[in-house]
Amino acid sequence: MRIFKLLTGPQTLGRGPLFWSGFLLVMIVLALAPQYLSRYEIILFSNFFISGFLALSLCLLWGYCGILSLGQAAFFGIGGYAYGIVALNLLNLHENTMLAILAGIVVPALFAAFIGAIMFFARLKGVYIAILTLVVSLLFQTFLLQTADPSYTIGAAYLGGFNGLRPASPDDPLLPSLILGFGSATIELDGRSYEFFYFVLGLLCLVYLGLRCLVNSSYGYLLVGCREDSDRTETFGYDVRLIQLSVFCLSAALAGLAGLLYTAWGTYVHPKVFDVAPNILVVIWVAVGGRKDLTAALIGAIVVEWVSLRLASEGEISLFVLGAILVAVMLFAPEGLVIKLASLASSLRPKRDRAAATRVES
Amino acid sequence: METATTLFAFFYQFVDNAGYLILAAVGLTIIFGMMGVINMAHGELMMIGAYTTAFSYHAGVPAPIAILLAGVAAGLVGIVLERLIIQHFYRQLLSSLVVTWGISLMLSQGFLLAFGPSILNVPTPFGSLAVGEQTFGVYRLVLAGVSLAMVAGVWALFAYTRVGTDARATMENPKMAEALGINTARVYALTFGLGSALGGIAGGMFALTATISPFFGVNYTPLAFITVVVGGGANVVTGLISSVASLAGVQTIFNNAVSVYIGYVAMFGAALLILLLLPSGISDYLERRKMRSVSRTG
Amino acid sequence: MQTPSPEVAKAAEPVIEVRDLVKVYGGVKAINGLNLKVDAGELVSIIGPNGAGKSTFFKLLMGIEAPTSGKVYFHGKDITRLPCFRRARLGLGIKFQNMHVYQELSVFQNLFIPLRRNHKPDKIPGRVKVLLPQLHLEGTEEESVHRLSHGQQQWLAIGMSIALEPEVLLLDEPAAGMSAEETRATAEILKRLNRQGVTIGVIEHDMMFIRLLNARTTVLHYGQLFAEGSFEEIEQNENVHRIYLGKI
Repeated sequence: MRIFKLLTGPQTLGRGPLFWSGFLLVMIVLALAPQYLSRYEIILFSNFFISGFLALSLCLLWGYCGILSLGQAAFFGIGGYAYGIVALNLLNLHENTMLAILAGIVVPALFAAFIGAIMFFARLKGVYIAILTLVVSLLFQTFLLQTADPSYTIGAAYLGGFNGLRPASPDDPLLPSLILGFGSATIELDGRSYEFFYFVLGLLCLVYLGLRCLVNSSYGYLLVGCREDSDRTETFGYDVRLIQLSVFCLSAALAGLAGLLYTAWGTYVHPKVFDVAPNILVVIWVAVGGRKDLTAALIGAIVVEWVSLRLASEGEISLFVLGAILVAVMLFAPEGLVIKLASLASSLRPKRDRAAATRVES
Repeated sequence: METATTLFAFFYQFVDNAGYLILAAVGLTIIFGMMGVINMAHGELMMIGAYTTAFSYHAGVPAPIAILLAGVAAGLVGIVLERLIIQHFYRQLLSSLVVTWGISLMLSQGFLLAFGPSILNVPTPFGSLAVGEQTFGVYRLVLAGVSLAMVAGVWALFAYTRVGTDARATMENPKMAEALGINTARVYALTFGLGSALGGIAGGMFALTATISPFFGVNYTPLAFITVVVGGGANVVTGLISSVASLAGVQTIFNNAVSVYIGYVAMFGAALLILLLLPSGISDYLERRKMRSVSRTG
Repeated sequence: MQTPSPEVAKAAEPVIEVRDLVKVYGGVKAINGLNLKVDAGELVSIIGPNGAGKSTFFKLLMGIEAPTSGKVYFHGKDITRLPCFRRARLGLGIKFQNMHVYQELSVFQNLFIPLRRNHKPDKIPGRVKVLLPQLHLEGTEEESVHRLSHGQQQWLAIGMSIALEPEVLLLDEPAAGMSAEETRATAEILKRLNRQGVTIGVIEHDMMFIRLLNARTTVLHYGQLFAEGSFEEIEQNENVHRIYLGKI
């Protein structure tokens, strides 16, 4: 009962039986996807879901706490590299990638704790934080691009410069996909398999529901309090810097999770994940869907990814069109398309429901 | 003799780095320092300048005029962008950041669609200068000289001309300026256009030293932004000069001592450190010191 | 409020004291050597012409800004270097001059954030039910704050500070923009709180409101203590009249 209250609290759009039956329907449609989609499309959808984690990470940080990170892909990339480096080194020892998964989540969070502590405790302005995160991402890219020299190895992992992470010697194992379990009871989830698809879908669903509970908890209220008026929140005795730092780390951990899944999905990670384009894409997903709601950001990510895939078949116009969509949305529906549609829909409904529905729309 | 050469090499590198930063930042200084808008498409305006210069040069226009044309082209694009889009985002820092990032993506991808990924080149003029055993390109020094001249020009424009006073009045208090009969919408458009034009000229000048592609501008924007915020908004000119001097200094030292990459990292580290100690930038600190000494004697 | 008995024994000790407080903004001395004490349970009105440094004084008390020099004491303890949130935890609450309510949240959510400091989440709806009638905000729980009237938003802003259950409450212009009737109701709210033991400092321009409070009144002028006394004494003070007319 308490969980349900948290799931449908006022910080998230979508309450009532209509929304949850829609949610169930989407889950069923997705669960049956292998019945009607080709293997190739299933592989692509696995990747869209991975983007979903990344969108949720920025939505939590920017939408709920008001901290815009233009370098969200940095944590994605760190997670991806951390997973790869640990997996390459420990695969022969453990024959699973559980520790690598842990590293892919913890390492970006620790790195975020480091730069976040500097930025938030110095009370840097929001725009500075936005630019600095982008700079961090670009510095990672520049660094990794110049690691083609064979001396850049960490145990069995060779950073490999432009070509991406690879085994240090032919005797070392290849970059593995997810291997879950311990000892002899392990299961390998190949990025091209249906199992991987279901695993990522299930995990995304769990993370999404978990975040819904989080943003409707006291902590979520505080996040929004920091976004709306951080000075006022501090006068109530809250250490705003700690709240900001904690959500920054949590967001980095989520982005890292996306990154490690990406590495496992393609058994490949390369410096381009730190480039401007992936960073800007995350912002586009979240801004176009609607930054102030988890569902909106998630839908934004998956729909935009799908649209850009369609566009890719038309030639090189994909990124140009995405840029245009971003500009148009910022001009005409700055709250985001999904949130705009939701508030339109709620204004069509009878007045009794409206009071409840409008609480979050603004 | 050898130490003299080393010293000159060091000095040359510093001037080169400093000129590079000033040129990248001067247009953005006006736009961010005066209007409070962060233009993430600044690098793409520079890219437009670089293309304009390259195309006009290859069409037979002399290089200096080609560079001026770059300013005109980027300035016009800037004015159009301001009227169409950016004017709706004043006083919304984070939103202006996002929308201009969208514009930057459109511009770079648009140029990629129109001209392909191919790379253009314009030969570097003025040859080189021999000091001791080493040779140094003269053009880099010219670049630094021009960058200083641009800063001086901007300062004179805002300090002495009617347009400059109108602009400062508008940025200070738009409602009051409007009441005084200043067409603030035009001031905003012109200021943004001027910032863009300076970016275009900078791009045009860089076009003579760098290869030109649709992604020419990508790395300039964060660099320019860092330079501007380290300088701060209290005094645009002293801010820019002091910021560039410290950042280029750190970069040159670490570049020589360790590597180019560490030079960059050290520069960003220095920028972060300055922002931590002086959150409003160096010029704000200098102004406050000046103020304090005035109030003490007065 | 829930002051432990040893504190009562030291009742003579001021709750708040500032010594030689100075705040300089770019060459201008907004606060210029201010000395002031507030005793436990007092209600103090602070008045003064525009630019007298009243709001700056509150910001220095609350730690929103750091003084150029001088000290701030809370129950005799030097808190000059404490950040704002620590002062709030000690028992200082403030309502800023600009209302500072969370515009995009509901009334309930606005009150939730300060209440959560001292209460478990399941106790909060009960607390909100108690608070709302005191603030003349019955039935607005689910309302978005930007739909409330100006006066209601002011009450909510005051209510959020009350919800923190502070020992000392600082209110910067609580009656700004209110109708005469709303102003009277606001004065009643503050007097009732004061009777319950909360020490209150109020900055206000509206003399009718100050008259309603009828409390010890402190006049600031050019960042210094200009006059002090009961409201009647201040009202009859010729010099105070003159600074308001700009003659001194």
